[in-house]
Amino acid sequence: MTHKKTNRLSWWMGGILMSLLLLLTISTFGADRPIGASTFAPYIAGTIFNLDHEHYGYLKLINNSGAWIGIMLIGVLFGGFITSVFITKTFRFSLIPSGWKKYKNTSILSRLTWSFFAGFVMIIGARLAGGCTSGHFLSGMSQLAMSAMVFGGVVMVTLLITGRYFYNTKGT
Amino acid sequence: MNEIVFRTDGEGFLSRFFQMVQVVIDQDHGSVALVFLIGVIFGGIVQYSRVDKFEKIAGFAMLKDTIVPKMLFLAVGIGSIGIYFMVENGAANLHIKSLYLPGLILGGILFGASMAILGKCPGTGPVSIAEGRIDVLIAAIGGIFGGLVFTVFYDDIFKYLQGESFGKTILPNLFEGHEQTSVLVFGVVVILIAIFIPKLEMEDELEDHDALR
Repeated sequence: MTHKKTNRLSWWMGGILMSLLLLLTISTFGADRPIGASTFAPYIAGTIFNLDHEHYGYLKLINNSGAWIGIMLIGVLFGGFITSVFITKTFRFSLIPSGWKKYKNTSILSRLTWSFFAGFVMIIGARLAGGCTSGHFLSGMSQLAMSAMVFGGVVMVTLLITGRYFYNTKGT
Repeated sequence: MNEIVFRTDGEGFLSRFFQMVQVVIDQDHGSVALVFLIGVIFGGIVQYSRVDKFEKIAGFAMLKDTIVPKMLFLAVGIGSIGIYFMVENGAANLHIKSLYLPGLILGGILFGASMAILGKCPGTGPVSIAEGRIDVLIAAIGGIFGGLVFTVFYDDIFKYLQGESFGKTILPNLFEGHEQTSVLVFGVVVILIAIFIPKLEMEDELEDHDALR
């Protein structure tokens, strides 16, 4: 059996390219704003459910950044799809990641239920904090923002505690 | 290109999509094409480096994979030196988010726990959907409902949970007179952290062996 791994970027090449993208985005000759992601969830919710922007203060608040991230999101889906089909050749429909099968369970219902629940809580958490991995960690910490340091620290600790107790990692 | 004005009246979903495009045209944060391109590159980097995989973020939560922190810290280290260099030379502005402790801590707890369970974040999740992961599509639907709940109850509940803002503080403010040095030290230390975190990788049987692919 060969052990050739999937065609992919090394962590350092990925990190360098991501920092260059951040610098391009934040520069005044680029977009003059940081990279973000999680704002798309309330923005899309407002769009799909046709919520009245005048009635919901939050939609007014995120109108500009939500639209910006909405366009970026379409690009992310496009870029991710093209790369998975033509470069890494990893596109395939799947319901359970192999790591979940190995360290949690093999139930599709369990994975999908947890996914829905985690997606729901994740957006509430990100919006409470005013950002996510992209907005706080990548963009915020690169600007040495104290808000990003607090968020990054709390997320790191909670992530490791949850990983320790949610999965069965003993004896593997 | 900026002369195109989309029809924004009407109630259909399509007109709301055009409104979104129009809002991006009207704000001064790059052309629609540039914003789309930023997304394409972001999606490409994330997919090509495979950090959108469950085994990467959930794997880090289990301390069996360290590619995500290595890549993220490296990007932050280079990014911090680059951003402050550009700010000094008038090529960039800082965009600092407010420091409101209750919101950051409570939000961080909810975010960290759900990220460990889902194995994705809001930035890598869409890339996973684009490569065919149905479970993450379900998570996105959950996320949109999360966004709906947050929007609807923002004025009554979530705004108060966020608490008072301590302003848009940055770390160099704590080192008055040594601002530039503090940025440089921060950047170098974070890059060194990225390099010295031991490289661990959780294997994905479906992807890491040719014979099984």
